Amino acid sequence: MAVSVELLAQIQLFAALSPRTRRCIAEKAVWAEYAAEAVLYRQGDPPTALYVLQTGRVKLYRQSKDKCQILALPVPGDCLGAESLPTGAPSPYSATTLTPVTAIYLSPDVLQPLLDEHPDFQEVFLRLITDRLKQFVTLVHDLAFRDVTSRLATVLLARAELEGQPHDEGIVFDRLLSQQEFAEMVGTAREVVYRVFKKFEDDGLIRITRRCILVRDLDALRAIALQEAH
Amino acid sequence: MVTESLAVKFEELLEMPAFRDMPQEQLRRLAAVMTRYHYAPGQIIFVEGEPAGALWFVAQGRVKIIKHSLNGRIQGLCLMNRGKCFGSCPLFNMEKNPATAQALDEVTLFVLPDEAFQQLRARDPQVVKALLHVYSQRLQHLAQVSEALGAWTVADRINDCLLVYANREMQQPTVELTHEKLAALSGTVREVVTRHLNLLEREGIVRNETGRIIILNFDALLPPCAGEMQRSPE
Repeated sequence: MAVSVELLAQIQLFAALSPRTRRCIAEKAVWAEYAAEAVLYRQGDPPTALYVLQTGRVKLYRQSKDKCQILALPVPGDCLGAESLPTGAPSPYSATTLTPVTAIYLSPDVLQPLLDEHPDFQEVFLRLITDRLKQFVTLVHDLAFRDVTSRLATVLLARAELEGQPHDEGIVFDRLLSQQEFAEMVGTAREVVYRVFKKFEDDGLIRITRRCILVRDLDALRAIALQEAH
Repeated sequence: MVTESLAVKFEELLEMPAFRDMPQEQLRRLAAVMTRYHYAPGQIIFVEGEPAGALWFVAQGRVKIIKHSLNGRIQGLCLMNRGKCFGSCPLFNMEKNPATAQALDEVTLFVLPDEAFQQLRARDPQVVKALLHVYSQRLQHLAQVSEALGAWTVADRINDCLLVYANREMQQPTVELTHEKLAALSGTVREVVTRHLNLLEREGIVRNETGRIIILNFDALLPPCAGEMQRSPE
Protein backbone atom coordinates (compact mmCIF):
# COMPACT_ATOMS: atom_id res chain seq x y z
CA MET A 1 0.00 0.00 0.00
CA ALA A 2 1.22 3.48 -0.85
CA VAL A 3 1.79 6.16 1.77
CA SER A 4 0.07 9.48 1.12
CA VAL A 5 1.57 12.92 1.60
CA GLU A 6 -1.40 13.75 3.86
CA LEU A 7 -0.54 10.86 6.16
CA LEU A 8 3.07 12.06 6.44
CA ALA A 9 1.88 15.59 7.21
CA GLN A 10 0.00 14.24 10.23
CA ILE A 11 3.16 12.84 11.79
CA GLN A 12 4.33 15.41 14.30
CA LEU A 13 7.99 14.97 13.51
CA PHE A 14 7.49 15.35 9.75
CA ALA A 15 5.36 18.48 10.09
CA ALA A 16 8.48 20.68 9.87
CA LEU A 17 9.43 19.28 6.44
CA SER A 18 8.87 21.22 3.22
CA PRO A 19 5.97 19.94 1.05
CA ARG A 20 8.52 18.92 -1.58
CA THR A 21 10.51 16.78 0.87
CA ARG A 22 7.31 15.20 2.17
CA ARG A 23 6.31 14.35 -1.39
CA CYS A 24 9.69 12.72 -2.08
CA ILE A 25 9.46 10.67 1.13
CA ALA A 26 5.87 9.60 0.35
CA GLU A 27 7.02 8.30 -3.04
CA LYS A 28 9.58 6.02 -1.40
CA ALA A 29 7.71 5.00 1.74
CA VAL A 30 5.87 1.69 2.06
CA TRP A 31 3.01 0.71 4.36
CA ALA A 32 3.97 -2.33 6.43
CA GLU A 33 1.99 -4.67 8.72
CA TYR A 34 3.37 -7.10 11.27
CA ALA A 35 1.91 -9.76 13.57
CA ALA A 36 2.57 -9.73 17.32
CA GLU A 37 6.03 -10.98 18.37
CA ALA A 38 7.55 -10.27 14.95
CA VAL A 39 11.24 -9.31 14.95
CA LEU A 40 11.66 -6.03 13.02
CA TYR A 41 15.45 -6.07 13.30
CA ARG A 42 18.18 -7.46 15.53
CA GLN A 43 21.04 -5.90 17.44
CA GLY A 44 24.12 -6.33 15.25
CA ASP A 45 22.18 -6.13 11.96
CA PRO A 46 23.50 -3.73 9.31
CA PRO A 47 21.86 -0.26 9.53
CA THR A 48 18.13 -0.92 9.53
CA ALA A 49 15.06 0.69 7.95
CA LEU A 50 13.24 3.60 9.56
CA TYR A 51 9.81 2.70 10.96
CA VAL A 52 7.16 5.29 11.81
CA LEU A 53 4.84 3.45 14.16
CA GLN A 54 1.15 3.95 13.23
CA THR A 55 -0.69 1.43 15.41
CA GLY A 56 0.40 -1.21 17.93
CA ARG A 57 3.43 -1.44 20.21
CA VAL A 58 7.07 -2.43 19.90
CA LYS A 59 9.86 -3.07 22.42
CA LEU A 60 13.47 -1.96 21.81
CA TYR A 61 16.02 -4.04 23.70
CA ARG A 62 19.56 -5.33 23.97
CA GLN A 63 20.30 -8.94 24.72
CA SER A 64 23.37 -10.83 25.88
CA LYS A 65 23.47 -14.48 26.96
CA ASP A 66 20.11 -15.09 28.62
CA LYS A 67 19.76 -11.54 29.91
CA CYS A 68 17.79 -8.77 28.30
CA GLN A 69 17.51 -5.00 28.86
CA ILE A 70 14.46 -3.24 27.42
CA LEU A 71 15.54 0.26 26.33
CA ALA A 72 12.27 1.81 25.19
CA LEU A 73 8.59 1.18 24.37
CA PRO A 74 7.73 3.50 21.47
CA VAL A 75 4.07 4.56 21.05
CA PRO A 76 2.20 5.25 17.76
CA GLY A 77 3.64 8.37 16.13
CA ASP A 78 7.18 7.52 17.29
CA CYS A 79 9.99 6.52 14.93
CA LEU A 80 12.45 3.70 15.42
CA GLY A 81 15.33 2.14 13.54
CA ALA A 82 18.03 3.48 11.23
CA GLU A 83 19.89 5.18 14.10
CA SER A 84 23.21 3.66 13.01
CA LEU A 85 22.83 4.60 9.33
CA PRO A 86 25.08 7.71 9.53
CA THR A 87 28.04 5.68 10.85
CA GLY A 88 27.28 2.43 9.03
CA ALA A 89 27.72 0.58 12.33
CA PRO A 90 25.58 -2.43 13.31
CA SER A 91 22.19 -1.70 14.87
CA PRO A 92 22.71 -0.97 18.59
CA TYR A 93 19.54 -2.79 19.69
CA SER A 94 16.77 -5.18 18.58
CA ALA A 95 13.10 -4.36 17.93
CA THR A 96 10.21 -6.85 18.35
CA THR A 97 6.46 -6.20 18.15
CA LEU A 98 4.40 -6.71 21.32
CA THR A 99 1.05 -6.48 19.49
CA PRO A 100 0.03 -6.45 15.81
CA VAL A 101 1.69 -3.37 14.30
CA THR A 102 1.27 -1.10 11.30
CA ALA A 103 4.09 1.23 10.32
CA ILE A 104 5.41 3.45 7.56
CA TYR A 105 8.59 1.80 6.32
CA LEU A 106 11.61 3.50 4.72
CA SER A 107 14.34 1.07 3.72
CA PRO A 108 18.01 2.06 4.24
CA ASP A 109 18.46 2.14 0.43
CA VAL A 110 15.91 4.91 0.00
CA LEU A 111 16.73 6.62 3.29
CA GLN A 112 20.34 7.51 2.45
CA PRO A 113 19.56 9.37 -0.83
CA LEU A 114 16.63 11.14 0.88
CA LEU A 115 18.99 12.35 3.61
CA ASP A 116 21.63 13.43 1.10
CA GLU A 117 19.18 15.42 -0.99
CA HIS A 118 17.00 17.01 1.67
CA PRO A 119 18.75 19.00 4.42
CA ASP A 120 15.39 19.50 6.18
CA PHE A 121 14.96 15.71 6.39
CA GLN A 122 18.51 15.48 7.71
CA GLU A 123 17.54 17.77 10.57
CA VAL A 124 14.41 15.77 11.32
CA PHE A 125 16.50 12.62 11.36
CA LEU A 126 19.02 14.26 13.69
CA ARG A 127 16.13 15.20 15.97
CA LEU A 128 15.06 11.53 16.01
CA ILE A 129 18.52 10.44 17.06
CA THR A 130 18.96 13.09 19.75
CA ASP A 131 15.48 12.35 21.15
CA ARG A 132 16.38 8.67 21.45
CA LEU A 133 19.69 9.74 22.98
CA LYS A 134 17.94 11.81 25.66
CA GLN A 135 15.75 8.79 26.42
CA PHE A 136 18.86 6.64 26.92
CA VAL A 137 20.51 9.29 29.13
CA THR A 138 17.47 9.16 31.43
CA LEU A 139 17.54 5.37 31.41
CA VAL A 140 21.23 5.34 32.28
CA HIS A 141 20.61 7.73 35.17
CA ASP A 142 17.76 5.57 36.48
CA LEU A 143 19.75 2.36 36.21
CA ALA A 144 22.76 3.91 37.88
CA PHE A 145 21.10 5.67 40.79
CA ARG A 146 17.59 4.40 41.47
CA ASP A 147 16.77 1.16 43.22
CA VAL A 148 14.40 -1.40 41.68
CA THR A 149 11.32 -0.13 43.57
CA SER A 150 11.92 3.42 42.40
CA ARG A 151 12.62 2.25 38.84
CA LEU A 152 9.41 0.24 38.64
CA ALA A 153 7.44 3.22 39.98
CA THR A 154 9.12 5.38 37.29
CA VAL A 155 8.09 2.95 34.53
CA LEU A 156 4.46 2.82 35.74
CA LEU A 157 4.33 6.60 36.13
CA ALA A 158 5.77 7.28 32.67
CA ARG A 159 3.32 4.90 31.05
CA ALA A 160 0.36 6.31 33.01
CA GLU A 161 1.27 9.80 31.83
CA LEU A 162 1.84 8.78 28.19
CA GLU A 163 -0.80 6.10 27.61
CA GLY A 164 -3.23 6.38 30.52
CA GLN A 165 -7.01 6.77 30.23
CA PRO A 166 -9.13 8.27 33.01
CA HIS A 167 -10.93 5.69 35.17
CA ASP A 168 -13.29 5.93 38.19
CA GLU A 169 -10.49 4.99 40.53
CA GLY A 170 -7.52 6.61 38.80
CA ILE A 171 -5.68 6.10 35.49
CA VAL A 172 -5.72 2.86 33.52
CA PHE A 173 -3.47 1.60 30.69
CA ASP A 174 -2.81 -1.66 28.83
CA ARG A 175 -0.55 -3.96 30.78
CA LEU A 176 1.31 -4.90 27.56
CA LEU A 177 4.29 -6.47 29.37
CA SER A 178 4.73 -9.76 31.24
CA GLN A 179 6.33 -9.76 34.68
CA GLN A 180 9.52 -10.94 32.99
CA GLU A 181 9.43 -7.95 30.61
CA PHE A 182 8.87 -5.52 33.48
CA ALA A 183 11.99 -7.07 35.01
CA GLU A 184 13.85 -6.49 31.75
CA MET A 185 12.85 -2.83 31.75
CA VAL A 186 14.38 -2.13 35.15
CA GLY A 187 17.22 -4.66 35.12
CA THR A 188 16.10 -7.12 37.77
CA ALA A 189 14.62 -10.60 38.22
CA ARG A 190 10.96 -11.55 37.71
CA GLU A 191 10.58 -12.51 41.38
CA VAL A 192 11.62 -9.01 42.46
CA VAL A 193 8.99 -7.45 40.19
CA TYR A 194 6.36 -9.77 41.67
CA ARG A 195 7.29 -8.69 45.19
CA VAL A 196 7.38 -4.96 44.43
CA PHE A 197 4.08 -5.01 42.52
CA LYS A 198 2.49 -6.98 45.39
CA LYS A 199 3.65 -4.29 47.83
CA PHE A 200 2.29 -1.53 45.55
CA GLU A 201 -1.07 -3.38 45.40
CA ASP A 202 -1.17 -3.98 49.16
CA ASP A 203 -0.50 -0.29 49.76
CA GLY A 204 -3.36 0.63 47.41
CA LEU A 205 -1.15 2.36 44.82
CA ILE A 206 -2.03 0.16 41.85
CA ARG A 207 -4.16 -2.77 40.77
CA ILE A 208 -2.94 -5.22 38.15
CA THR A 209 -5.03 -7.60 36.07
CA ARG A 210 -3.89 -9.77 33.19
CA ARG A 211 -4.70 -7.05 30.68
CA CYS A 212 -4.60 -3.73 32.50
CA ILE A 213 -2.79 -1.73 35.13
CA LEU A 214 -4.78 0.75 37.18
CA VAL A 215 -2.81 3.47 38.97
CA ARG A 216 -4.88 4.52 41.99
CA ASP A 217 -2.45 6.87 43.73
CA LEU A 218 -0.36 8.82 41.25
CA ASP A 219 1.18 11.10 43.91
CA ALA A 220 2.38 8.23 46.09
CA LEU A 221 3.88 6.53 43.04
CA ARG A 222 5.58 9.80 42.07
CA ALA A 223 7.13 10.12 45.54
CA ILE A 224 8.60 6.62 45.24
CA ALA A 225 9.81 7.26 41.68
CA LEU A 226 11.78 10.32 42.79
CA GLN A 227 13.77 8.50 45.46
CA GLU A 228 17.41 7.88 44.67
CA ALA A 229 19.56 5.20 46.24
CA HIS A 230 22.27 6.20 48.72
CA MET B 1 39.87 25.98 33.67
CA VAL B 2 41.47 26.76 30.37
CA THR B 3 45.23 26.81 30.35
CA GLU B 4 45.87 27.74 26.73
CA SER B 5 43.91 28.17 23.51
CA LEU B 6 44.99 27.93 19.89
CA ALA B 7 43.53 27.64 16.42
CA VAL B 8 42.58 24.25 14.96
CA LYS B 9 44.01 23.08 11.63
CA PHE B 10 41.64 21.41 9.19
CA GLU B 11 44.07 18.50 8.72
CA GLU B 12 43.55 17.67 12.39
CA LEU B 13 39.79 17.39 11.85
CA LEU B 14 40.36 14.77 9.15
CA GLU B 15 41.37 12.38 11.91
CA MET B 16 37.93 12.64 13.57
CA PRO B 17 35.51 9.93 12.37
CA ALA B 18 32.68 12.47 12.12
CA PHE B 19 34.58 14.61 9.60
CA ARG B 20 36.26 11.93 7.54
CA ASP B 21 33.88 12.19 4.58
CA MET B 22 33.53 15.95 4.65
CA PRO B 23 34.76 17.98 1.64
CA GLN B 24 37.94 19.96 2.36
CA GLU B 25 36.26 23.29 1.84
CA GLN B 26 33.66 22.59 4.56
CA LEU B 27 36.37 21.29 6.87
CA ARG B 28 38.37 24.50 6.50
CA ARG B 29 35.33 26.58 7.45
CA LEU B 30 34.60 24.31 10.40
CA ALA B 31 38.20 24.41 11.63
CA ALA B 32 38.13 28.20 11.45
CA VAL B 33 35.35 28.46 14.07
CA MET B 34 36.76 25.77 16.39
CA THR B 35 39.13 26.40 19.28
CA ARG B 36 41.77 24.21 20.87
CA TYR B 37 41.72 23.80 24.65
CA HIS B 38 44.18 22.03 26.93
CA TYR B 39 43.32 20.44 30.27
CA ALA B 40 45.56 18.99 32.96
CA PRO B 41 44.80 15.59 34.55
CA GLY B 42 41.86 15.90 36.93
CA GLN B 43 40.59 19.23 35.58
CA ILE B 44 36.82 19.56 35.23
CA ILE B 45 35.74 20.45 31.68
CA PHE B 46 32.10 21.05 32.48
CA VAL B 47 29.67 20.19 35.25
CA GLU B 48 26.41 18.26 35.08
CA GLY B 49 23.42 20.61 35.13
CA GLU B 50 25.30 23.65 33.81
CA PRO B 51 23.95 25.20 30.59
CA ALA B 52 25.38 23.37 27.59
CA GLY B 53 26.55 25.32 24.56
CA ALA B 54 29.23 23.52 22.61
CA LEU B 55 30.41 20.30 21.05
CA TRP B 56 33.73 18.93 22.31
CA PHE B 57 35.97 16.67 20.23
CA VAL B 58 38.80 14.74 21.90
CA ALA B 59 42.03 15.34 19.98
CA GLN B 60 44.34 13.83 22.59
CA GLY B 61 44.06 12.12 25.96
CA ARG B 62 41.01 10.69 27.70
CA VAL B 63 37.98 12.38 29.21
CA LYS B 64 35.92 10.78 31.94
CA ILE B 65 32.15 11.22 31.84
CA ILE B 66 30.63 11.08 35.33
CA LYS B 67 27.09 11.28 36.64
CA HIS B 68 26.09 12.46 40.11
CA SER B 69 22.99 11.28 41.95
CA LEU B 70 20.90 13.72 43.99
CA ASN B 71 22.54 12.22 47.07
CA GLY B 72 26.02 12.90 45.76
CA ARG B 73 26.85 9.36 44.68
CA ILE B 74 29.17 9.29 41.69
CA GLN B 75 28.92 6.89 38.80
CA GLY B 76 31.56 6.82 36.11
CA LEU B 77 29.80 6.24 32.81
CA CYS B 78 32.55 6.01 30.24
CA LEU B 79 35.84 7.30 28.95
CA MET B 80 35.98 9.36 25.77
CA ASN B 81 39.23 8.85 23.91
CA ARG B 82 40.71 10.36 20.74
CA GLY B 83 38.13 10.99 18.02
CA LYS B 84 35.13 10.83 20.34
CA CYS B 85 32.78 13.72 20.82
CA PHE B 86 30.59 14.92 23.68
CA GLY B 87 28.51 17.96 24.61
CA SER B 88 25.25 19.52 23.45
CA CYS B 89 23.56 19.38 20.09
CA PRO B 90 23.93 22.79 18.38
CA LEU B 91 20.65 22.40 16.48
CA PHE B 92 18.33 21.68 19.37
CA ASN B 93 18.48 23.26 22.70
CA MET B 94 19.68 20.45 24.95
CA GLU B 95 19.67 23.02 27.74
CA LYS B 96 21.85 21.40 30.37
CA ASN B 97 24.85 19.10 30.40
CA PRO B 98 23.53 15.62 31.24
CA ALA B 99 26.82 14.67 32.93
CA THR B 100 30.15 16.01 34.19
CA ALA B 101 33.29 15.79 32.04
CA GLN B 102 36.74 15.54 33.64
CA ALA B 103 40.18 15.20 32.08
CA LEU B 104 41.75 11.88 33.05
CA ASP B 105 45.21 12.73 31.70
CA GLU B 106 46.71 15.54 29.58
CA VAL B 107 43.79 16.33 27.30
CA THR B 108 43.45 18.42 24.14
CA LEU B 109 39.94 19.24 22.95
CA PHE B 110 38.59 20.95 19.85
CA VAL B 111 35.54 23.00 20.79
CA LEU B 112 32.72 23.91 18.42
CA PRO B 113 30.42 26.54 19.99
CA ASP B 114 26.70 26.16 19.17
CA GLU B 115 26.45 29.70 17.77
CA ALA B 116 29.35 29.20 15.40
CA PHE B 117 27.78 26.02 14.14
CA GLN B 118 24.44 27.76 13.57
CA GLN B 119 26.12 30.44 11.47
CA LEU B 120 27.96 27.84 9.46
CA ARG B 121 24.79 25.89 8.81
CA ALA B 122 23.03 28.96 7.42
CA ARG B 123 25.60 28.92 4.60
CA ASP B 124 25.91 25.19 4.20
CA PRO B 125 23.08 22.91 5.37
CA GLN B 126 25.18 19.81 4.64
CA VAL B 127 27.37 20.32 7.74
CA VAL B 128 24.47 18.73 9.65
CA LYS B 129 25.76 15.45 8.26
CA ALA B 130 28.73 15.59 10.62
CA LEU B 131 26.34 15.92 13.56
CA LEU B 132 24.34 12.92 12.39
CA HIS B 133 27.52 10.90 12.56
CA VAL B 134 28.40 12.20 16.02
CA TYR B 135 25.01 11.49 17.55
CA SER B 136 24.54 8.16 15.86
CA GLN B 137 27.84 7.06 17.38
CA ARG B 138 26.88 8.33 20.79
CA LEU B 139 23.50 6.59 20.68
CA GLN B 140 25.27 3.35 20.04
CA HIS B 141 27.51 3.94 23.00
CA LEU B 142 24.66 4.82 25.36
CA ALA B 143 22.65 1.75 24.35
CA GLN B 144 25.68 -0.25 25.40
CA VAL B 145 26.03 1.60 28.70
CA SER B 146 22.32 1.07 29.46
CA GLU B 147 22.70 -2.64 28.94
CA ALA B 148 25.90 -2.76 30.95
CA LEU B 149 24.18 -1.09 33.90
CA GLY B 150 20.91 -3.00 33.72
CA ALA B 151 21.51 -6.52 32.58
CA TRP B 152 25.09 -7.41 33.37
CA THR B 153 26.42 -9.00 36.51
CA VAL B 154 28.98 -7.10 38.58
CA ALA B 155 31.70 -9.36 37.13
CA ASP B 156 30.59 -8.45 33.60
CA ARG B 157 30.72 -4.75 34.46
CA ILE B 158 34.23 -4.95 35.90
CA ASN B 159 35.44 -6.92 32.86
CA ASP B 160 33.87 -4.33 30.58
CA CYS B 161 35.65 -1.52 32.44
CA LEU B 162 39.00 -3.31 32.07
CA LEU B 163 38.44 -3.58 28.30
CA VAL B 164 37.30 0.00 27.88
CA TYR B 165 40.05 1.56 29.97
CA ALA B 166 42.92 -0.65 28.79
CA ASN B 167 45.74 1.25 27.13
CA ARG B 168 46.35 -0.89 24.06
CA GLU B 169 49.31 1.07 22.83
CA MET B 170 51.51 -0.62 25.40
CA GLN B 171 53.10 -3.96 24.67
CA GLN B 172 50.48 -5.64 26.81
CA PRO B 173 47.14 -3.91 27.39
CA THR B 174 47.36 -2.15 30.74
CA VAL B 175 44.71 -0.54 32.91
CA GLU B 176 46.14 2.24 35.05
CA LEU B 177 43.29 2.67 37.50
CA THR B 178 43.05 1.96 41.22
CA HIS B 179 40.54 -0.61 42.47
CA GLU B 180 38.63 2.30 43.98
CA LYS B 181 38.27 3.98 40.57
CA LEU B 182 37.37 0.70 38.87
CA ALA B 183 34.65 0.22 41.50
CA ALA B 184 33.20 3.68 40.80
CA LEU B 185 33.33 3.05 37.06
CA SER B 186 31.58 -0.33 37.32
CA GLY B 187 29.01 0.69 39.94
CA THR B 188 30.27 -1.46 42.81
CA VAL B 189 32.59 -1.26 45.83
CA ARG B 190 36.37 -1.70 46.07
CA GLU B 191 36.20 -5.05 47.91
CA VAL B 192 34.20 -6.66 45.11
CA VAL B 193 36.66 -5.38 42.48
CA THR B 194 39.65 -6.71 44.43
CA ARG B 195 38.02 -10.12 44.88
CA HIS B 196 37.15 -10.32 41.18
CA LEU B 197 40.64 -9.25 40.06
CA ASN B 198 42.20 -11.91 42.30
CA LEU B 199 39.93 -14.48 40.68
CA LEU B 200 40.94 -13.28 37.19
CA GLU B 201 44.60 -13.50 38.21
CA ARG B 202 44.18 -17.10 39.39
CA GLU B 203 42.64 -17.91 35.98
CA GLY B 204 45.64 -16.32 34.25
CA ILE B 205 43.54 -13.59 32.61
CA VAL B 206 45.21 -10.60 34.30
CA ARG B 207 48.29 -9.82 36.39
CA ASN B 208 47.76 -7.39 39.27
CA GLU B 209 50.58 -4.92 39.92
CA THR B 210 50.67 -1.89 42.19
CA GLY B 211 48.48 0.83 40.63
CA ARG B 212 47.88 -1.11 37.44
CA ILE B 213 46.43 -4.26 35.93
CA ILE B 214 48.11 -6.05 33.03
CA ILE B 215 45.68 -7.89 30.76
CA LEU B 216 47.10 -11.25 29.66
CA ASN B 217 44.04 -12.65 27.91
CA PHE B 218 42.02 -9.87 26.32
CA ASP B 219 39.44 -12.14 24.68
CA ALA B 220 38.51 -13.83 27.97
CA LEU B 221 37.19 -10.46 29.17
CA LEU B 222 34.97 -9.84 26.15
CA PRO B 223 31.28 -9.63 27.06
CA PRO B 224 28.80 -12.09 25.52
CA CYS B 225 27.54 -9.57 22.95
CA ALA B 226 31.00 -8.36 21.84
CA GLY B 227 30.83 -10.21 18.54
CA GLU B 228 27.77 -8.23 17.57
CA MET B 229 28.98 -4.80 18.62
CA GLN B 230 31.80 -2.60 17.51
CA ARG B 231 33.92 -1.64 20.45
CA SER B 232 36.19 0.78 18.62
CA PRO B 233 35.39 4.50 18.86
CA GLU B 234 34.27 4.57 15.23
